[in-house]
Amino acid sequence: MAAADSPSTALRRRDLCSRGVRLAGKMRLDVISLLDTYVERQGLDASVSVAAVEGVPVAAVERWDEQTGTQRLLENLEAYRAFRVLLAQMLEEQREQLGEADTALGRALAAVLLQVSAFAYHLEELLRLESRGPPSEEEAELPPPPQLSLFEQKLRGLGVLRELAQWALRSTRDLRQLTKASPGSGSVPSPPDSP
Amino acid sequence: LAAPPKEPLLMCRSNNYPKGFYCSWHLPTPTYIPNSFNISVIHGTREMVCEKDVFPKNRCHIRYLQLFSTVKYKVTLTVTNALGKNSTTLTFDEFTIVKPDPPENVVAKPVPNNPRRLEVSWQNPSSWPDPESFPLKFFLRYRPLILDQWQHVELSDGTSHTITDAYAGKEYIIQVAAKDNDIGTWSDWSVAVHATPWTEEPKHLTTEAQVAETTSTSTSSFMPPPTTKICDKGAVVGSGAVAVCWTAGLVLAAYGVLFI
Repeated sequence: MAAADSPSTALRRRDLCSRGVRLAGKMRLDVISLLDTYVERQGLDASVSVAAVEGVPVAAVERWDEQTGTQRLLENLEAYRAFRVLLAQMLEEQREQLGEADTALGRALAAVLLQVSAFAYHLEELLRLESRGPPSEEEAELPPPPQLSLFEQKLRGLGVLRELAQWALRSTRDLRQLTKASPGSGSVPSPPDSP
Repeated sequence: LAAPPKEPLLMCRSNNYPKGFYCSWHLPTPTYIPNSFNISVIHGTREMVCEKDVFPKNRCHIRYLQLFSTVKYKVTLTVTNALGKNSTTLTFDEFTIVKPDPPENVVAKPVPNNPRRLEVSWQNPSSWPDPESFPLKFFLRYRPLILDQWQHVELSDGTSHTITDAYAGKEYIIQVAAKDNDIGTWSDWSVAVHATPWTEEPKHLTTEAQVAETTSTSTSSFMPPPTTKICDKGAVVGSGAVAVCWTAGLVLAAYGVLFI
């Protein structure tokens, strides 16, 4: 985190972190709900194991507690920029497969895509408070989607959503860590004349 | 008679997330001869070490090397003795086995001059390593001893709560449970605590009753609590009706206390 923050910067960071925690929490609940819909509409078994999918950011991390605040934000931003592209691909595949036949799944996918985009923007705002600033979008380009069979596409979609659910959980924890670390989070004593 | 082992019962749980989890096991029926237990924990392609406790001997601990993984853990327990072997396997996600210990140091106190309130406070379980980053939410249940039905309150933050609808003068039993804010399951209920809301001392009642004889208006210890409105607001017209209304209320409140 940037040293010698102004009080307004510290307050802004704390506010963004708190709101980010709520956004991530809501996003996670919606992704879990979307997962149920996806499994049902795609005729999949909810317990099926999906191997690691190429191009899907993996939420799993070692030594999570040792990460710096900037590391957390950068990894989160990279992930959500990738999910933005992946979800758009899934939405396109969905429309090609089913046309307008299943709009419930399409609507749910679109709603989560919107939340992912909003969360990515929120992370960019947090990074702007850092002296580093957010990386440019070109750094997060994904390769074009692989040519897969319909069944493979469905499994890949399942893998994307499962990983996104874990990322939403990780983001909640990451932003709480940032709230804990930032000045004015309550761990710093208030000045004597404050109410 | 000595017997080969039956399929063992295995349980895994994380009460100190995100540090790790433990697994414990036992046999459903005794074999009457020595048994040896071997446990393996696999996460993806990685075999993890489960460090056995000295006591109890049927438990071991695993440290989480990764967090937020979508890869399941696979735990296999094999029990062997001179007459045979048996095994069982559990497969689970990191987040499904998270179950904190119950909250600690639950305290319930009456609130002075408030006959329907009880102040309850508790602490995070000491085994939960980082409540700031991994906050817990709580579920409080309470009932008067004389009733079977519990009241429930879910609390998303803080480690205290004021009950405001207790029956005056009745002893209550109160318990609290905890859960990680985002994942896992509720803890067992805490140790139960008992408390009775504040009531006025008997000698004060005598004093006030004597005062009431000599003055035209007074408060009484049998005043019904503000939430138990006996009379409709619309029915109260003029001071005479108010006096009748309150008298009826006092009588009914006294009967109510007797019959609860």
